[in-house]
Amino acid sequence: MTLGRYTCRRLLLGSVQVLAVLVAVFLLVEALPGDAAVALAGDNPDPARVAAIRSAMGLENPAAQRFATWLGGLLSGDLGSSLVSDRPVTEFIAAGLPTTLLLAGVTLLLLVPSSVLLGVFVARRAGGRVDRVVTAATIGLHAVPEFALAIVLVALFGVELGWLPPTALGADPLADPAVLVLPVLVLLARPLCAVTRLVRAAMVDALASDYVRHARRLGLTRARVDYAHALPNALAPAVQQLARTTDWLLGGVIVVEAVFVLPGLGTSLVDAVAGRDMPVVQGLAVLFGVTTVLVNLAADIIAFRLAPRAGSAA
Amino acid sequence: MKGWRGVGVVLLVVPLAVAVFGPLFVPDEVGRGRAFVDSGVLGTDFVGRDVLQQVLLGGRTVVLVAVIATGVSYAVGVPLALTAAMARRRWLDEVLMRPLDVVLAVPSLLVLILVAGIAPHGYGTVVVVVAVVTVPDIARVARAAALEVASRPALEAMRLQGETRWRLAIGYVVPAMAPTLVADLGVRITAALYLVASASFLGVGVAPDAADWAVMVDRNQSGLFLVPAAVVVPAVLIIAWSIGVNLVFDRAVRR
Repeated sequence: MTLGRYTCRRLLLGSVQVLAVLVAVFLLVEALPGDAAVALAGDNPDPARVAAIRSAMGLENPAAQRFATWLGGLLSGDLGSSLVSDRPVTEFIAAGLPTTLLLAGVTLLLLVPSSVLLGVFVARRAGGRVDRVVTAATIGLHAVPEFALAIVLVALFGVELGWLPPTALGADPLADPAVLVLPVLVLLARPLCAVTRLVRAAMVDALASDYVRHARRLGLTRARVDYAHALPNALAPAVQQLARTTDWLLGGVIVVEAVFVLPGLGTSLVDAVAGRDMPVVQGLAVLFGVTTVLVNLAADIIAFRLAPRAGSAA
Repeated sequence: MKGWRGVGVVLLVVPLAVAVFGPLFVPDEVGRGRAFVDSGVLGTDFVGRDVLQQVLLGGRTVVLVAVIATGVSYAVGVPLALTAAMARRRWLDEVLMRPLDVVLAVPSLLVLILVAGIAPHGYGTVVVVVAVVTVPDIARVARAAALEVASRPALEAMRLQGETRWRLAIGYVVPAMAPTLVADLGVRITAALYLVASASFLGVGVAPDAADWAVMVDRNQSGLFLVPAAVVVPAVLIIAWSIGVNLVFDRAVRR
């Protein structure tokens, strides 16, 4: 299969997934127990407020029509406005986006080179002492919840030793980068383990392959064989894992923002869910879901380009 | 790697023992004093309860809910995968497995936060959501394993002898799949623990003053400077448990 055809097929699947995410997010609000408007109005529903929410959500209309209206709004960039504060949902997104992008961006920027280098580094010493220690560490740390790791690091470096600020409360991350050190460190831990393990495993396989042995016999330098010939083949599974860890990264961002009091999208989402502010929840969920689908799409296409055989089965 | 295995077992057993046997050492009446003072062994928490008692009580929910959620996921995922893999008609396979791909495309913590924000609070909700998020992964692994077994000549022979499909599935395919499923178990338990603990930390699905390690970390965070133990001890127990489960299962699989 050519790259073009694969891309077309993958785009088609991606658009189906986006549509499914939209439907799921919409149904989630539909699935509210009892009357959505009453549920949203809180413990002591005031009839006037219930009626206001009902007309704001267009609950008199049938579900299919509401879905069409909502979808139309989405396409024209109108995500509705908050039930609590009447501010447009896009404003919430614009307020939280810089912090979240900064966190995720810095993490990914550090993650990709460090995990690839570490994976290659231990793969070249496979079976040795360094390899065993790094492998055990990556296996162990792989599933530690971010909040637990975060709080231990805060207690150690923020409180006990006093080297770094314990939270980012009231600080501007751009003006004061020290507040970002601990959050980024926590976000790095899990993906770093996952990607390093994959790069190491794929690299060990690649280094033992016939073509690498052949390239060595031709007298190419070791660095050239390892990085120009073995590494591209070893990267394909890592690229897909990177996409999948972006899901986890997103979840991690929500938790890390909560621990370090960073005003990002995760904080907006948790607040909106707590306040049952459904238009905001819907808007953020659509944003997160669509981002995930797009990231997976990009990763599959890159992986196909790196190693066409791997993608042809999918 | 022998030394590492010992480390893994200790990291797994200590939190597990605290979680299971801890509640036995706590009196029924929980006294309340002043919040965040350095009394007793570990001090008091944000509402003045003894931190040591809370630590002993708080493991049960974290560990139990994670284990139950994993069990439910297997109970749903494995029969689903078995039906898909053994289906005579191709479309049944597609109908069962395709929707799962869509679930895989959504970040799991997002699903957890959304559903728990809407559904009634309680551990039941957390179990259901963890199951929804984990079933696709389990079903994929189980289907691949079942397909491999289902294409063996032995199965063909048994079918020719007139064994029914269900006898084959339960009597032969499931036992043959078991090693693959067990190999996968450690990853699933830690993933479930991760979700349950993160959800409790974000205040999803549990009472705000519940005796729960993750809730303790969240609620006692404001007293980090006064009684660090109230935050660090439960956090370290959670970390130890996830590292321990991973190391022990990884060793068991590679053997």
